Amino acid sequence: MTLFGLCKTMAELTADMFIVPVLRFQRNIFPPFSYPAGDLADWFASEGGIVTLAWIYAVNIAFAVGMTNLILVIHLERKIAARIQDRRGPMLSFRAFRELGEDLAGEAPTWRFKGNYSGIGIIQNMADGIKAITKELIIPNKADKFLFSMGPIIFISSSVFLLVLFPLSDRFAASAAPAGLMVIMAAFSIAPIGVLTSGWASNNKYSMIGGMRSAAQLMSYEIPLLLSMAGVFLLAGSYNPVDIVEQQREATWLFGLPMWNFIPQFIGFIVFMICILAEVERVPFDLPEAEAELVEGWTTEYSGIRYMLFLAAEYIRGFAGAAVATILFLGGWAGPWPVPPEIWFLLKVYLIIIFWIFIRWSVPRIRTDQILELGWKKLLPLSLINILIVIFMVEIYPYFADIVSLPEVF
Amino acid sequence: MAEMWISMGPQHPMTHGLWTLKVKVDGETIVDADPELGYLHRSVEKMGERRKYFMNTTLTDRLCYASSTTWTHSYVLAVEELMEVEVPTRAQYIRTIMLELQRLASHLMWAGAYMPDLGHITGALYFWRDRELFLNLLELPSGSRLLYNFMRIGGVKRDLPDGFEEKTERILKLFEQRLDEYADLFENSKIFRMRTEDVGKFTGSQAMNMGITGPNLRGCGVKHDLRVEDTYEIYEEIDWDVCTREAGPGYSDCFSRYMIRIDEMKESVKIIRDCFKKMPKGPTMSARVPIRASGEAFRRTEDSRGEALMYLVGDGSDRPYRWKIKSPMFTTISACPHYLKGYKLADIPAIMGSIDICIGETDK
Amino acid sequence: MDFSDLHKQLKSMEGVSKVSHIRKNVIKLDLEKSVSKVFFTKLKDDFYFEHCSLITAIDNQPDFELVYHLSCLSGELSVDGTKMSAMVEVHIHLQRDSPSVDSVSDLWFGANWHEREAFDLMGIYFIGHPDLRRVLLPEGFAGHPLRKDYVYEIHEEEW
Repeated sequence: MTLFGLCKTMAELTADMFIVPVLRFQRNIFPPFSYPAGDLADWFASEGGIVTLAWIYAVNIAFAVGMTNLILVIHLERKIAARIQDRRGPMLSFRAFRELGEDLAGEAPTWRFKGNYSGIGIIQNMADGIKAITKELIIPNKADKFLFSMGPIIFISSSVFLLVLFPLSDRFAASAAPAGLMVIMAAFSIAPIGVLTSGWASNNKYSMIGGMRSAAQLMSYEIPLLLSMAGVFLLAGSYNPVDIVEQQREATWLFGLPMWNFIPQFIGFIVFMICILAEVERVPFDLPEAEAELVEGWTTEYSGIRYMLFLAAEYIRGFAGAAVATILFLGGWAGPWPVPPEIWFLLKVYLIIIFWIFIRWSVPRIRTDQILELGWKKLLPLSLINILIVIFMVEIYPYFADIVSLPEVF
Repeated sequence: MAEMWISMGPQHPMTHGLWTLKVKVDGETIVDADPELGYLHRSVEKMGERRKYFMNTTLTDRLCYASSTTWTHSYVLAVEELMEVEVPTRAQYIRTIMLELQRLASHLMWAGAYMPDLGHITGALYFWRDRELFLNLLELPSGSRLLYNFMRIGGVKRDLPDGFEEKTERILKLFEQRLDEYADLFENSKIFRMRTEDVGKFTGSQAMNMGITGPNLRGCGVKHDLRVEDTYEIYEEIDWDVCTREAGPGYSDCFSRYMIRIDEMKESVKIIRDCFKKMPKGPTMSARVPIRASGEAFRRTEDSRGEALMYLVGDGSDRPYRWKIKSPMFTTISACPHYLKGYKLADIPAIMGSIDICIGETDK
Repeated sequence: MDFSDLHKQLKSMEGVSKVSHIRKNVIKLDLEKSVSKVFFTKLKDDFYFEHCSLITAIDNQPDFELVYHLSCLSGELSVDGTKMSAMVEVHIHLQRDSPSVDSVSDLWFGANWHEREAFDLMGIYFIGHPDLRRVLLPEGFAGHPLRKDYVYEIHEEEW
């Protein structure tokens, strides 16, 4: 059963048992004013209403799954960073809550001197959330107030939108657009507009430079990114994530090993991994918020929950970027039988994320001119070479397959 | 983008203290710079004129929190020159050990502060973890971790405690291992070198003219170290070398200034080991230390950041008539428009970090 | 060039008096205010003193005294064949009513802020200095606090 099938069953059940009866009941309360409720009830009883409701359920489930993963990703980042840096990371959060309770009750802290330093570190995310929500939302006096609030909305909504766009497996998909990956990349490209908007609206020089850097970085990295993806699209003949993963699942290599796309298109894989790292603005490419020279870059003037959601949205983008990389190059949800495909998919995504975390905490940040040089002078030619290789594999090689019999590699 | 002034500081992640760097940028390229000081001015020289000679060591301790013993030592040397006090040999050895431990701690503090400038938080935590080891060592004889007040006029506060040599040796061994490990993370890392090489260049002759001394000058390939050239304590009896680095013929960049400090740390380890080997027994304090002094005297020492010069004028009373402190960073910061111009905005932390700023001594 | 030669040459120069060795590698001398620029140019160009270590202003009531510490870092001047670096300590006496002297910041850039500091804290005017502002104390500070006759007054400021 697919996610959509499940949601449709749920939609039918809720419509039959709850929504339609309630609306029918409402229609009879104040006639004729409540007649529209009856129309709504008829619509929910029809196929269109059920399907719409099913989509809403599917999207919400995908969103919930994505947000749960977000908490895990942030916790993973903190713990691995701490382990790399020879410290412990968040682990006493629950104890802190308890201490707070004891403080409020006027008791002496009981646990502090016992040497039992254990707690639940993942609650640190909750503590951060509470802290951020309770803080004041400061809008600078000379800021452009409308754009100052619009920037976070554009950035955060386009990032959250990403969560429902990629499938976790062929059955667990909230969206099944035929041009799925194009939609994902389009959603990825909206965010820099939000960055530029909030950077400009803050009326702060650091913010503005951060926004400009973000735009420049997007311009130089979007092109090699899409060109490196083009090879995969050529090979699969489709933009649909499901088709792309199916193609990778069917392709085999020596000894019947699966040939996921990162083997024939190794150049494309490398280019894509670098570009997606720049796209999601993680170290070493986090120039827009380089804290050493730009204080906090384009988020300098933001506070409270807006700032928190900026950070969260960046992790969402990271998660989505890793998911795209998995679908395109690492065989998506393909994997041996006993483990369900969704778990395979998440395992690969987390592998990439852990790799990124290792990168983040072991290299410095590179400079603006160097990042642009890397994008235009190195990655762009490499991605074009990758496309040439794929064109040879897909278009030219089959004509000569009878004459020159290469070993069955490709 | 048109040219505009950006004010970095007094509170900015780049500044490492309280000072303001106003930079004029054209897009991301630096066109002009204007440093401003004075946020941390405590009028140490004026306060020193109201205190007795031996009381001033508390002030000199607070000149630079990263390297307090070297500053006190510089002052104490100048006072001993003024009062013509002889320091016992064992005290000189203990002083040398403390100075080199302090230099190690100071360089580690610098390295730890430099890494976040380049966007490398992990480096900071690694180097500061190692700095803790040396703070532990400095704590053993002096009793405190940051402001030691260990150097006294005519000797040192007290003798080294039992087992100090073994503990030091153990920590030095660990530290040397770790430095080798860090080589892969930093100086062999491609991105680290991209950020530091060919950035913030100045030649040796320029540096001397601009008043840049110490590791920054040795990074240009100039073999100048006051521990040899105006020798004090027992540096001439110890086996060690002045290390130099250069990025190209006669000039330095951020990478050579990073490497010279790493080399210097290795050299300090050598000095400490040799001191323990050659240290004699004896008193640690001079028998006779006068209170009053007249005349004038100056001594210059090799601080962790460059040439520290203390100039004292006494008028026969127990307080200095005039006390002048030369801080190496004062002139180095003043020259910053020269070595910032033409580089990118992102190079400002890389360059200003690499010259190892300490605002405490600069603002006095 | 050797350090003992320098001693002789300095003695023969105009406006120089009381040339003496105060340490093995340090020569101390007094200099007339009027010839200071010529003397310092010669020190820098001919005798390799390419580094200005320190400029100290002293209030010897009633007169002022400026002390220049100049050093040779590159090792061109050898001190009796040792590794020591040569140094010159130049004293210039200034009248209290006209505490001004020629600036040397065009010779040594490192002297720039030392002169600003001497102006800031002691009130010595350096003629020809490109940017003679206060450096440590805030703009608009009244008086020069390292002078011996400076009286500290608490200025109530509204915040």
